[in-house]
Amino acid sequence: MEESYPIIDCDIHQFLPNKEALYPYLSRARQLDMDQYGLRMPGNGGYLNGGDRGYRIDSWPDDGGRPCSTVEMLQTKHLDLYNIEYGLLLGQDLRGIPNMFDADFAADLSTAYNNWMIEHWLEHDDRLKGAAFVPTQDTALAVKEIERVGSHPDIVAVAGVNGVQFPYGKRFYDPIFAACEAYDLPFVIHTGGEGTFGQPTPAGYPTYYVEIRQARQMGYMAHLASMIFEGLFVRFPKLQVVFVEGGYTWLAPYLWKLDSDWRGLRRHTPWVELPPSEYILQHVKFTSQPIETSEKPRQLSTILEWSHAERTLLFASDYPHWDFDSPTNALPHMPEQMMRNVLSDTARELFHLPRRIEVEPVKAAD
Amino acid sequence: MARHVVAKLADFPPGTRKFIELENLSIGVFNIHGKFYALRNSCPHQSAPLCRGWVCGTLVATKAYEYVYAREDEIIKCPWHGWEFEIATGRSVFNPHKVRVRTYEVAVEPEEEDPSIPTFPVTVEDEFVVVYA
Repeated sequence: MEESYPIIDCDIHQFLPNKEALYPYLSRARQLDMDQYGLRMPGNGGYLNGGDRGYRIDSWPDDGGRPCSTVEMLQTKHLDLYNIEYGLLLGQDLRGIPNMFDADFAADLSTAYNNWMIEHWLEHDDRLKGAAFVPTQDTALAVKEIERVGSHPDIVAVAGVNGVQFPYGKRFYDPIFAACEAYDLPFVIHTGGEGTFGQPTPAGYPTYYVEIRQARQMGYMAHLASMIFEGLFVRFPKLQVVFVEGGYTWLAPYLWKLDSDWRGLRRHTPWVELPPSEYILQHVKFTSQPIETSEKPRQLSTILEWSHAERTLLFASDYPHWDFDSPTNALPHMPEQMMRNVLSDTARELFHLPRRIEVEPVKAAD
Repeated sequence: MARHVVAKLADFPPGTRKFIELENLSIGVFNIHGKFYALRNSCPHQSAPLCRGWVCGTLVATKAYEYVYAREDEIIKCPWHGWEFEIATGRSVFNPHKVRVRTYEVAVEPEEEDPSIPTFPVTVEDEFVVVYA
């Protein structure tokens, strides 16, 4: 990257220092259960992970604590280092909330997590913004939580996961998306939960972690088709959706296939008036990390152009996970305006964030 | 190539590593079972501080479903994305011919003598680990 632009990091995972950090926000009954059984997050299939227990080896603090478990750790090891303008917190230990079978406990944990995040993170650094966790497996409870925290100035999104009971276009989720629209909060879907409610891929159960990583885009493709053909964006014309950490280079050919198939099958879903790609361009964004590397660098630059990256791509580092993308060394060459949009302009507009760092206008020559 | 003193030999025991910071260049120096190695502290992938990674062995290529852990302490694993490099040569495990990290010559030498100052016989405790970079 020749020049440095402001960076908005759309995927940061902040850790609980310990489960007791949630206790001030939970009833005595929940505390007693958690003393014995912990957070009760659903299992991950026993897959291995990368780095050191899933996280960057150099993110583990020397004092034996957990990575990214204090604001100071995040500031010194990431935000200050790269002069991050804003960082979107997507949590770590409670990311399985939407996959819990006990929706009431999931709702209580959502409330506790959101309060903990606000009090221990968002209120301590103006650069930090949060996505609210909600129990999407029970739409009434999810809406209740969105109504509770949705107006908080530092809550800028609602979080969801990839592996759920039904694809997100189904009417089951309508109350959640109505609330997202009412509070002007994008729905940010992170990978996770694949396999909790059934087979993680249409081909069954993969053996290795490197295989299950390839299931992410399968889920995202299914969600996208569902959203488009069930008319989600026709029914919720202001809704914005972000797909996090599920790859990006598959998008261009997928847009082409959606449009190709729709031309002959349009009458099955006549409410889909526009070519499917148009709904995606208007309503959907994707985060960059882990950005794929192509055989030759210019091939990746070309596919970014085909994917309308200037509208659809948001930078994310995934700090402190092992497959972290460096804000300064991961992205390929791209035109200046596209780079600015990817690094911060698109996210700033999407999450309604005031500009914190002034920049020179784009040079006309580019 | 310039000579850079890293540490006194006595202060650099096996199983430890040290870093030297030159202008625009960070180098990691390792004492592995009494032998010294120096690598550029920057991964060719995304410039992560490679030499902060793990010194370890690796799973060598085998028939399917066989696991053979070997080459203990010959490999460094990048602290970010886990790319593995052979410490002695800087060659990556996954593509030794195309993906590699720069290595530097390390030596154990007595301190360079300044001829203007009278010197005394040195003992082994006065040896220094030096890197040529």
